[in-house]
Order: sequence, then structure tokens, then C-alpha cells
Amino acid sequence: MSVGSGSPTIDLKHIVSESRLRGLWRLLQGYRFAYFVAAISLGLAAASRSTVYLLLAFFVDDVLGTTGFGPQVPLVALGFVGLAVIQGVFTYLSGQLAGKTAESVTQRVRNYIYDHIQRLSFVYHDKTRTGELIQRATSDIDAVRRFFAQEAIGFGRITMLFLANFAALLLINTKLALLSVIVVPITVPLSYFFFKRISDAYESFQEQDALLSSVLQENLSGVRVVKAFARQDYERGKFETENWEKFLRGRKLLLLHSYFWPTSDILTGAQMLFGFYTGAIMTINGIISLGDYLAYAGLLVWIIWPIRNLGRIIVQMSTGLVSFSRVTDVVREEREPLNTGDYLPDEPPKGAIEFKQVSFEYEADAQVLKDVSFACEAGQMVALLGSTGSGKTTLVNLLPRFYDYSEGSIKLDGVELNRYPKHYLRTHIGIVQQEPFLFSRTIRENIRYSVGRDVSDEEVEEAAKAAAVHEVILTFPKGYDTLVGERGVTLSGGQKQRVTLARTLLKNPRILILDDATSSVDTETEAAIRTALGGLMDTRTTFLIAHRIQSVMMADLILVFDEGKVVQQGTHGQLLRQKGIYRDVFDIQTQIEEEVEREVSTVK
Amino acid sequence: MSDHTEFQEEEFSATFNGKTILRILAQTKAHWPWVLGFLLMITLVSVLDSYFTFLSKRIIDEGIGAGNREVLIGIMKQYALLTIVQAGGVFGFIYLTGILGERVRYDLRKKMFDHLQKLSLAYYNQTPVGWIISRVTSDSDRVAELVTWGLLDITWGVMNILTSAYFMVLINWRLALIVGAIIPVLVVVASWFQKKIIREYREVRKINSKITGAYNENITGVRVTKSLGREKANLEEFGELTGEMYKSGYRAAWLSALFLPIVQFITAIALGSIIWYGGLQIEIGGMTIGGIQAFVSYITFMLFPIQDLARVYAEMQHSVASAERIFSMIDEVPTVVDLPKAKAPKSLQGDIEFDHVDFAYDDEPENPVLSDFNLTVKRGENIALVGPTGGGKSTIVNLVCRFFEPTQGKIKIGGKDYTRYTLHGIQSRIGVVLQTPHLFSGSVRENIRYGRLEATDKEVEEAAKLAGAHHFVSELEKGYDEEVGEGGVLLSVGQKQLVSLARAVLANPEIFVMDEATSSVDTLTEALIQQGMETMMKGRTSFIIAHRLSTIRRADRILVIENGKIVENGSHAELLRKRGHYYRLYTQQFREELSRAQDPFMAKLAEAEPESN
Repeated sequence: MSVGSGSPTIDLKHIVSESRLRGLWRLLQGYRFAYFVAAISLGLAAASRSTVYLLLAFFVDDVLGTTGFGPQVPLVALGFVGLAVIQGVFTYLSGQLAGKTAESVTQRVRNYIYDHIQRLSFVYHDKTRTGELIQRATSDIDAVRRFFAQEAIGFGRITMLFLANFAALLLINTKLALLSVIVVPITVPLSYFFFKRISDAYESFQEQDALLSSVLQENLSGVRVVKAFARQDYERGKFETENWEKFLRGRKLLLLHSYFWPTSDILTGAQMLFGFYTGAIMTINGIISLGDYLAYAGLLVWIIWPIRNLGRIIVQMSTGLVSFSRVTDVVREEREPLNTGDYLPDEPPKGAIEFKQVSFEYEADAQVLKDVSFACEAGQMVALLGSTGSGKTTLVNLLPRFYDYSEGSIKLDGVELNRYPKHYLRTHIGIVQQEPFLFSRTIRENIRYSVGRDVSDEEVEEAAKAAAVHEVILTFPKGYDTLVGERGVTLSGGQKQRVTLARTLLKNPRILILDDATSSVDTETEAAIRTALGGLMDTRTTFLIAHRIQSVMMADLILVFDEGKVVQQGTHGQLLRQKGIYRDVFDIQTQIEEEVEREVSTVK
Repeated sequence: MSDHTEFQEEEFSATFNGKTILRILAQTKAHWPWVLGFLLMITLVSVLDSYFTFLSKRIIDEGIGAGNREVLIGIMKQYALLTIVQAGGVFGFIYLTGILGERVRYDLRKKMFDHLQKLSLAYYNQTPVGWIISRVTSDSDRVAELVTWGLLDITWGVMNILTSAYFMVLINWRLALIVGAIIPVLVVVASWFQKKIIREYREVRKINSKITGAYNENITGVRVTKSLGREKANLEEFGELTGEMYKSGYRAAWLSALFLPIVQFITAIALGSIIWYGGLQIEIGGMTIGGIQAFVSYITFMLFPIQDLARVYAEMQHSVASAERIFSMIDEVPTVVDLPKAKAPKSLQGDIEFDHVDFAYDDEPENPVLSDFNLTVKRGENIALVGPTGGGKSTIVNLVCRFFEPTQGKIKIGGKDYTRYTLHGIQSRIGVVLQTPHLFSGSVRENIRYGRLEATDKEVEEAAKLAGAHHFVSELEKGYDEEVGEGGVLLSVGQKQLVSLARAVLANPEIFVMDEATSSVDTLTEALIQQGMETMMKGRTSFIIAHRLSTIRRADRILVIENGKIVENGSHAELLRKRGHYYRLYTQQFREELSRAQDPFMAKLAEAEPESN
């Protein structure tokens, strides 16, 4: 069995269209023939079902009625079985092909959206809520799958059944055929009317369901507070309110169903009865034969069934269409080009960096970086010091081109940064972010995550040692095979930070950015990391964001930030000689050291 | 401790446990008239279904065949009347079954929630929240489904087959025997398919939750992915997952597509035999044309009850498993409960005494946290607990709050064993502020009022002022009516602590317990928290798990706890002089904190904070 679509990265940009149906049609690309055959098969299955009743008519009129029991009877019996086989084969074929189409198309959309998400810009992700995006990627895509697997095909089945049976009825008697569908103009709008309401009621029921779950969730995660204040009764009351509301909404939904089905039963029952009566009278009057009546009575049931379900299917299809547009909303967003850029050296960059009057804003009229200029040579260490929100993280985020600067110029090895393809920059720049993020896989896999090649365990451990986390990992029962997030094992913030550091080191970047990467580790560990990193940092350009003077003292260049501007720059020695924030910070920190010493000695 | 894989959705019992089934059925006991009602309705509908086919036969034989219009009109009238009766029946069973189903769900959820409120913290420590949630939501749905629609489908299916059989025998018993012969075949085929199909869908659901997880990481970890340039490898991995999904989804679709034709083929063979044999019978006068038509209908529609029965049977296993999980939760006995003669204490003011207390958590009985622990705390004394993580500080505090009880030994409050008091009596008199304070979604006001539900708005604000929360709350756009978000996500950790302090202040407890936050809080908020704590500690017996220097200095007594023992005990100055554990802690850990607190950058942040909010 060939698995779904050949290439998982097929471009689906073209499914964005003014007309949703056209978009869905484009989505079917490569499976249109299969889906078409599925639809044709439905028609053939429906036709063979109708033929069963025509054969019955033939049997009664021409076999039993005239010749009596003869050699034709076994033939007719075989005919029934044969028609069943034909009907079976085509029913199977349509189900199988529709299933295959739906599953393949969905797989393609899933892969595409997944890839799309990881290629959308930082700007997009900054403003999009995770839950919202997940819903579009999961339940909305699933609704699209159902559209192809059930709803569109169901619509086809209904249409085909109606057409085939109606054609068969016409063969028997035109007048009778027309009289059999007089209920159509009533039932179809009626069921559409009801199902519109039913789907609204269902939505409000689901909303309440979500609300109830979150009340429950909050109660469970706040169980200590509940117990600490002995608020069990209050919590019961709160849950009871929402629980009862859910019951009420469920009841409302059920009421709609219990009104709809009997109403529709009576209408179709009346149609049936009317058909039987007219048919019977026509038979008695000799207008149609007894066999014709028999066939008619059978066909009538199968023409009423689709009429009854049409409204339901239409409503379901419309929700499928809504989901499809929610998916195309995501597809519509532009991807971040990773490989465009006219300057692609074969060698890794050396790492000389120059900022000239660089300004940057996330939103118009809110500059985060103002007129920043500095330069460093390859292999140097640049330290950034400043309060939170002063622009340090923004500055380092410009280097791998997570965001593009709006004014000024940044040069890497003398070439304008935006001439390099993003992929090249990101391959050679390693960044350890402030908030450590690990994936739910083993620690080993997390460290390996950064490189697209096979990595030996030794290399992984080497990286872990350089990040001063090797020893810690060995204390876990499963060592490097410990699953992150597994119950019983919790990595502290500092440990997570060091694992992400190891991950970045394994990548062996030419430019290393440590964004407050040692904020959650104690002084001793920081010193250990520093020693281990020492050799590594000599050969590559390093950007270091830190809070403590001790952390930045060794830097070749220290940039002091205030409100998006670089207010001081130079080496530790140079800055100490100037009057300014840097010296103030230094003074305070030395003072504290002295204070601690004094207090300890005075209590003697 | 139970391995986390145990909590996956896979386990279900292979055998039907009669007791469990009875207990499942008992869930509807309170609403038995409804059950009786819908069973009657569905029986009526089902009998009529078969009878209509029989009437059609009579139309053909007695009406058309005999050319008798009067009989025809008579039958038609009967038909019309019964159609209306049946519509009534349909209304009845949908209404009764559906609403009963919602009601049973409601009852089950209520029962479980009530029980959950009684369960002790020990249970919560061992059971993941997600596990409990799926018991209350999806498992209760499945059980309710079984006792309503499941029961309905079974009744309908059985009645339908029985009445059809009755009418077939009535028309021609020889032919009925032929049909009878295929029923077992149909049943076997149908249940085989349903089981397979359900298994595939279950697989689909499992992969689906993996896919959701993958999307979640894809989105939350997108910044890492980009900085490591790992898009391609990620997509390949995800492609494998969707490939699996495709296989399972396709197999489920394929099985479903195959099921109907096969069953139809089997019925077609029966149909052929009827035609063949029936044709012969007509020759000798044992069969009418209407009879053949009736048989054709009965056989064609025989499929539906069998399909339903097979489906319910296959689902039943899972429902029974769901029920077992629900019952296991309801049967869970809370470990901390009121003793039979427990009384509400008049007051908890008095000395607190740990008298030879042993304690071990349930999941690790061989590894006691405290053994032979003794401590006396004078009324009104402020105690600071310091020491390494896992040393037993939280356990001591949990025992004071009676979230857990000593395994051995006694805890006395005012000289009396505290198990002789009611839980409610103790816990409503202790104010607790947790390290990562939990707030409920709702406004700031509602969250503070949680401390005392009947408090007026003025009292709420008074408490907030005392706790030092008023300042930041009044800076919020909507003030006290500002929403805090689920779990308080819209507030910073420091702000959450201030709100939970205000909550504790409002409760006006007799004993105060606090677990200080370890994460850094900006200087201004920190100062406010300190102020709030001071308010709480004044004149109250208090236990603080302390991480801040100022808190420790303020305490009347500092306990250094290591490995479940008090290794040092005394005031700040006394302990520093000892040059022991406390001295080391102080010089190493607190030096750091001091330097952070006075960092001008952090101070700047604190000033900027109110504006950004």
C-alpha cells in the first residue's frame, strides 16, 4: 500500500481562494480521479439497488404471472445475488476511494500546516495564541477530512440514490413518480431549518462542556487552596451551577432532536401512505401491474430516505466549509524565506560584526532600539548589560534575522546582514534563550536536536560536560535516556538552561549568543560553566547578556543599555574610569560583598 | 509509585464483570420510570416497524391482489393511525433516552466531583490531574451512553429481530427457517467487523493525541526550531506520525467500506433463496406475492438491528472499563477524615506541639520523611524554616495544616490531639499562602473574597491594603474587577502572591502558613509582600518556609531542617555565631539575593513596572 501523498512538502498555497469550494477542489489535486470514481461508484451502486426492485417486478409479472415456476426462477434468484454483488463492489469501491482520498488529502494538509507553522515569522508567532493555532491544525483539519470522507460523499450518495430511484420510478409510471416526491419541498427546508438550530444548540452545549472542564481543571489544580480555606462546599456549588447548565443545554439539544424526528416521520409517513394508496388504486384499476406496484413500494422507501437526510447533510457540510476557511487563514500567511539572499559563502563566517546606527521597532512608533552603533572583531566577546526591556534581547535577535532591522546597517564580516540567507545565519549562530525550552523527548535527543546528522554518545556527553550538566544528568535513574517532563524527574530551571546550552554547543556555532543563559544557576555552577566554556569562547564571537558585573568583566566590549540606547561602551577598565551606570553598579556590588563580610564578623 | 504509562487510555478488562454491570445499571435507579418509559417506547416503535411491513403485505394480498378497495382503505386507515402512534413513540424514546442520558451524566459528574472534594492530598499527589479529568468527562459519558442509548439499541435490536421473526413465521415458517439460518452468520460477521473497526478508531484517536502534542511543541518551541534551523528534520518526524495516522485512518475507512457490502451480500443470498424457494411455494399455493415482498423487506432491514447489536457489544467492553475506573475513584477512601467524635475547635490559639511524629508519604512507606520529630511552638511565635529542598520543610507545614496526618505520634494544638477536631474546623482557621499561589479565573475581587465569602467589597479592599496588594490592583485598568485569567496567568508571580496574601488576610486565620517564592520578584513587589507578611505574622503563630533574608531575620526562631531533622534552632544572630549549617547557607545563598535586591537594573525595573501595567 502506498502511503498517502508522495512528497509531504507539496505546496498548498493555491488552496487559498475566494471560493471555498474552488479551494477544496484544488486541495483534491492528485486525487480528483479517485474521488470522481468514488462518486461514479455511488451512482452505480444506487442504480443496481434500484434494479433489484425492477427485477422483483419482472419476477412477479413475467415469471410468476405468466410462465409459472420454470427455469427462469433460479436465474432470477441468481440475478438478485448478482445485483447484490455489483452493488457491494461499488459501495465498497466508493467507500474505499473516498476514505483514501480523505485520508491522503488530510495527511497532506497536516504536514503542510506543520511545516508552515515552523516557517512563519517570529512576528506572526508573537501575536498568535497557541491554543487557537492548535485548534485550527487539529479539529479544523479533521473537519475537512470529514467533509471529504463523509459529508461530500454523503451528499453524493443522497443525490445518486434520489436520481437512480427517481429514474426507476419514472420507468414504472411518470405520474406515480411525480406524486412520490411532492413532500420534497417541505422536508428539505424543514430539516435544514432544524439542523441549523441543532448545530447551534450543539455548539452551545460544547461551549458549556469546555467551561465545565475548565472549572474542574481549576478545582483540581487548586486543590490545596480549596483545602486550605476549607471551601469544598463553595466549590461544589460552583461546579453544580455549570454542571446543571450543561444538563440544561444537553436537554435543549435533545428536545430539538425529539421534535425533528417524529415530525419528519409523520411527513414521510404521509408521503409513503399516499404513495401506497395511489399505487394500489392504480394497480387495481390496471394502470400498473402488480409487479410494478411491488417495485414501486420498495423504491418509495429508498427515495424518501435521502429526502429526509438532505437538510442534515447540508448543515454538516456548511460547518465543514467554515473549518476549511479557518485552515486557509493560516495558509494565507506568508512564510519566512530561509534561502533567499544573494551572498552565500561556502565557509562559515569569521564573526566580525558591525552595527551602524541601527534602529528597530516591533510596532510602528515604538522604537525598541535607537541608533545603536558598535563594532567587534571575530572571536571577541561582547557583553550586554542593562535592565529588562532595555533592548538587549532585541539586539541579539537581529543577528540570526529573527526580526529584520528597519534602519541602519549591520555587517557580518563586512557584508550587509540581510544579504545572507537566513538559513546560513541560523546554522552558524547559536543562541541560548532566556526561557529554556526542551522538547518532550529524552535528554540525549534534546541535546542532539540541534544537528541534522548522527551524533555519537561521546559527542553528546562532551557537550553536556562543557555546559556543566553531565554530572547532574548522571544522577537521574535513566541518565541521558530520561524523558523530559516524565513524572518523578523534574529538571530545575538551571538544569534546563544548561541542557539548552549543551544543545547549542553541540551545533558548534561560529557566533554564540547567551541571552541571560546563566540566570537560574548559582554562582558556583556559573563559574563551572565559565571554565568549561572558556576554551570554546576564545575562538568564536560571543554575545553575553548578564546582570552581574563579575559575569561581564572579562568581555572585550561591554555595552550598557538604557531604554533602547547604548549609553556606555568599552572594556571593564575603561568603563570603571568613566562616571555612569556601570560604575554605580560596580560600586553597589562591591559594597554588598563588604556588607556580608561585616555582618558575619560582627555577630561573633 | 505508579508508572505514568498506567494512566494511558488503553487498559480495559477483557471479561465482563457481572457486578460492575449491575452497578452500571444501578446508576439509573433513581430515574427508573424514565428507563421503563423509554424501554416501552422503543418496544412500541420496534414492533410497529415490523408490523408496517406486514401491513404492506396485506395491502398487496388482501387489497390489490383481491382487488378489494374497502379492505385497502381499511388497512390504509390503520396504517395512518399507527404512523402517528409511532411518531409519538419516536418522540417519546428520543426525549426520554436523551434526557435521561444527560441526567445520568450530570449525576455521575456530581457524584465524582463531590467525592473528589473529600479526597485527601495524598490522592492528588499520586494521581495526575489529566487522569481525573478524563474520568469525570469521557468515562462518565461512555457509561451514561451505555445505560441509555446502548440499552435502547439492544432493546430495539432484539425486539426488531423477534417481531420480524414472528411475522415471518406467521407468513411462511419454512422460509422463516432459511432466514433464521443466516442470522448467526450475520451476527458473527457483524461483531467481528465492529470490533476491528472500533480498534482502528481507537488507534486513530491515540495517534491523534500524539499529533496534537506534536503541534503543541511545534508552536511553543518554534523559536528554538528556528534558531537551530531544524525545520526539515522536524517535518520528517512529523511526516512519520501523519503516515501512521494515514494508515490507521485508511484502514478504519476501508473496514467500514467493506463491512456493509459483505453483510449485504449475505442477505442477498438469503434473498435469492427466498425467491427461489418462495417461487416454488407460490406454485403450490403456500406463498403469496405479498408474502415474498414482506420477506424481501424483512431481510433487507434485518441488517440494521444486527449491526447495532454488534456495535453496542463491541463498545460495551470499553464502557465497562470506563465504569470500573469511575468506581475505583468513587471507592477511594480519603486518608484524612474526621474522627467520629470530632468537634469543631473553639479556637486554635495555643502552643503547637509535634510529639514524636513519624511521617512517610503513601507511595514511599519505606522512606520516612520525618521520624521521631519533636517540636514545640509557643502561641504567637513566628517560625522560619530553612534548609535544602526535600529536607522536610513542606512536610512539616502540610502536617500543621492537616493536609496529611502523622503516621506515628501526635500533633497537639493547645495541648489537645488535633485529630479530635474537625478538618473543617482546623483548616478554616489556618491561612495558607503557597509558593506558586493558585488563583481561580475570575476577578481580583473574587479571588480575594475566596478567603471569606461573605466579605463586603470594603472589607476586600481593606484586606488588600493590609496585604500590600491595593497599590498594584488600583493600577490595573479595571481595578478589583480585572480578570486574573485561568490560574492567574495574567498576573506576575509577585502579584499573585500579593493577592493570595490578601485572601489570607481576609480569612483572618489564627495560624499563618507561607511558602515563600523562590523565583525573583521585582524589588517593589518584594517590599510589598514583606509588608503583607508582617501584617499576617503579627500576633499569630506562623510557619514560613523562608527563602528571603528579611523574612528569616524577622522570625522569632529559625529552624534549619535537613533530612527530616532540626539540625539547628535559634535566632539569626545565635545561628550565625554557631558557624554551622545556617552560617553556610547564609553566606552562600543569601549573598546572592542581597546583590540582586540592590541591583540598580532591577530597581529600575521595579519603578517601570506600574507604568507598563
